[in-house]
Amino acid sequence: MPPLAMSLLQRVCQAGLVAWVVGTLTFVLTRTLPGDMAYRIAAGRYGHEQVTAAAAEAVRAELALEGSAVQAYLQWFGDLARGDLGRSLVSGQPVAGELQHLLGHSAQLAGVAIVMALLIGVPFGLASGLSRHRLLDRLGLALAVAMRSLPPFVIGLGLIMLFSITLGWLPAAGSGHLTHLWLPAMALALGLAAVSSRVTHHAMARVAASPFYAFARQKGLSARQALYRHGLRNVSVPVVAYLGVQLIYLMEGVVVIESLFAWPGIGHALVHAVVARDVPMIQGTALVLGLGFVLLNALVDLACRGLDPLRQTS
Amino acid sequence: MTPLMEVRNLCVETTQPPIHTLLHPVSFTLHAGRPLTLLGETGSGKSLLAQAVMGTLPPGLRARGDVMVEGRNFLALPARARAKWWGRHFALLPQEPWHALDPTMRIGAQIEEGHRLVAGRSRSAAQHATDQSLMRLGLADCRRHLPQALSGGMAQRAAFAAARTTEAPIVIADEPTKGLDSTRRDEVVTLLREALNERSSLLAITHDIDVARQLGGDIMVVRDGICLEQGEARTVLDAPRSEYAKRLIAADPRHWPAPASPAPASAQPVIEGRTLRMKRGNRVLFSNLSLTLSPGEIVGLTGPSGCGKSTLGDILLGIITPDEGHVHRARGHAPLRFQKLYQDPPAAFAPHWTLHTLLEDLCARHRLDRGRIPLLMTRLGLHARLLQRQPGQLSGGELQRFSILRALLLEPVFLFADEPTSRLDPITQQDTLALLTDVAREHDCAVLLVSHDPALITASCDRQVVLSG
Repeated sequence: MPPLAMSLLQRVCQAGLVAWVVGTLTFVLTRTLPGDMAYRIAAGRYGHEQVTAAAAEAVRAELALEGSAVQAYLQWFGDLARGDLGRSLVSGQPVAGELQHLLGHSAQLAGVAIVMALLIGVPFGLASGLSRHRLLDRLGLALAVAMRSLPPFVIGLGLIMLFSITLGWLPAAGSGHLTHLWLPAMALALGLAAVSSRVTHHAMARVAASPFYAFARQKGLSARQALYRHGLRNVSVPVVAYLGVQLIYLMEGVVVIESLFAWPGIGHALVHAVVARDVPMIQGTALVLGLGFVLLNALVDLACRGLDPLRQTS
Repeated sequence: MTPLMEVRNLCVETTQPPIHTLLHPVSFTLHAGRPLTLLGETGSGKSLLAQAVMGTLPPGLRARGDVMVEGRNFLALPARARAKWWGRHFALLPQEPWHALDPTMRIGAQIEEGHRLVAGRSRSAAQHATDQSLMRLGLADCRRHLPQALSGGMAQRAAFAAARTTEAPIVIADEPTKGLDSTRRDEVVTLLREALNERSSLLAITHDIDVARQLGGDIMVVRDGICLEQGEARTVLDAPRSEYAKRLIAADPRHWPAPASPAPASAQPVIEGRTLRMKRGNRVLFSNLSLTLSPGEIVGLTGPSGCGKSTLGDILLGIITPDEGHVHRARGHAPLRFQKLYQDPPAAFAPHWTLHTLLEDLCARHRLDRGRIPLLMTRLGLHARLLQRQPGQLSGGELQRFSILRALLLEPVFLFADEPTSRLDPITQQDTLALLTDVAREHDCAVLLVSHDPALITASCDRQVVLSG
């Protein structure tokens, strides 16, 4: 089997495994959460003030929550196999439909964040990797450590305070307009850019010190030609590969940042579903996040393969 | 003859006080069609001279003096302007061609970019010129290959083509034959001679006397940054005047004294390979091969590159299993007492620890007697202060003697020495090999010595095995 097909098949198997693990874990976790499930679901439907014991009982009866846990678990998998993610316990709408809508928002946010991170991190890393001045390196390291050490929500709050409250340039939260996207995307991008800039810095410094880079200059290429023709491709491989490692940070960030900025994506919905004990919705959102992780990793694989001819031949 | 380049009082020194002079002033003239070879050991300032001429000295060093090319003092130009001369007036043939080629770019593209961007040819003209040069160098099939798919010799030729897209008149080759066997070495010399014509010439830097002899022209003998003698190649090589040049020429294995009488083969061989057969891919490296080694016996192993010399050694050590046949080791010896010496000393040591720590760890791991270290160091001519240094801070010869010491600590009965001196300078090579064989005989250790140099094997071994490939 050609290596490309082999690695894709591996990813498909991984996706199956992820679906099973995520489905099981979310099921077990939601069942073991403290509190009365029916009461929480009712609160999710009608609001906290409106919930009465009668409403909770009605929910309990309607959703057959007293039924066997094992049966519910098997039921969910049976439905999943047919492509049915069930209905939200709160809204009663099909989960798949809601996810579709949410996923678009999350993908937009994550995509813009990755692009922003690369636009910030890579040029900075290239400049500091090529520069002989240690100052730029130190400054980059200090900034990167600071940005990566702060949890995304702190960066997010900082951005809101600066750009929304003090300067008043951008809205603090919400969605529907392009201006709503900048702050949450930036909050995610800064942490990603911090690591990307360091990976780029080291890759660039390594390439710039390599004999083949020196030879490129000595055979007559200008500094710019050597960078474009022999620098960027060699630098891009570790940078893109490391992006795969950073996906965890991105996924985590999406959940937190969407909640902070009221961005109507998967992460935001997951948090709401957990509060409302909306089990099919929790399973659905977690599943989408898990599968998204596998998909993005597969894309990173493909990108590395495209960038690095050594991987195509070996 | 037109002088292509006139170098006057060129010296290299450190920029920060205290100022050390690393290369004392040298002067020479490079004429079209007449090569000039700088001959000397590594670390003797030869490579600094090439870097000084090119203007590629590492930070912390500066060159003084004049490098006159086309009526202008190249050294007086600002760094940015000097870089514009690279590839156009100077072509540098890199020391390790494999590493000098971009691992992620196809060979054709690496040559073509020079034709297009440096020589300024149109896309189609550049393609044509690339095809022509690949054809002429016997690389026509390699256009779409990545550097990793090339042999060392092919990489050398590809780098040559990439460096000379503008037919730069001054070709500088820094140790172009390092680590190559004699056949490949002759190929490189032929390649270099191609750069000699009425408009261009060659400045070669080497420690290999054969290369200097084959290139002809003029020779400068350099040691410790000082030019000891210069003159016509034949004159210098046949009748050297300086003491150092005499030693350098005497260090050529063909001039080594005849080996001591072979040790009497004892009845009990220490290691024995019986009817060994090994394939690599579809190629049979050797079959029905048997050999035995007795204690204290030095056996040479020669043959062309890729004929399976290292493989045979690894089979004897038990690192690789042969396809057929088997290896019999004398009873009563721990597996640790069958040891190997590697070709590239720096690659055989962990880089970031002092030798003291490395040896200490070895002794702790195998519960060895630390008291033997000073004795062996004295025997191998290693100064105690070297223990406090890291492997990278030692010369190749010193480090290789440390790897001999490291092997001896384990009281070996068999040593597989895989080209242990091919990366060393001639004089260091002679000294190191003499030490190795003497010490091995003293310790009754059998040695299987691999080399691509038949003269070296003849001069240092009791008998030899030749693999034909």
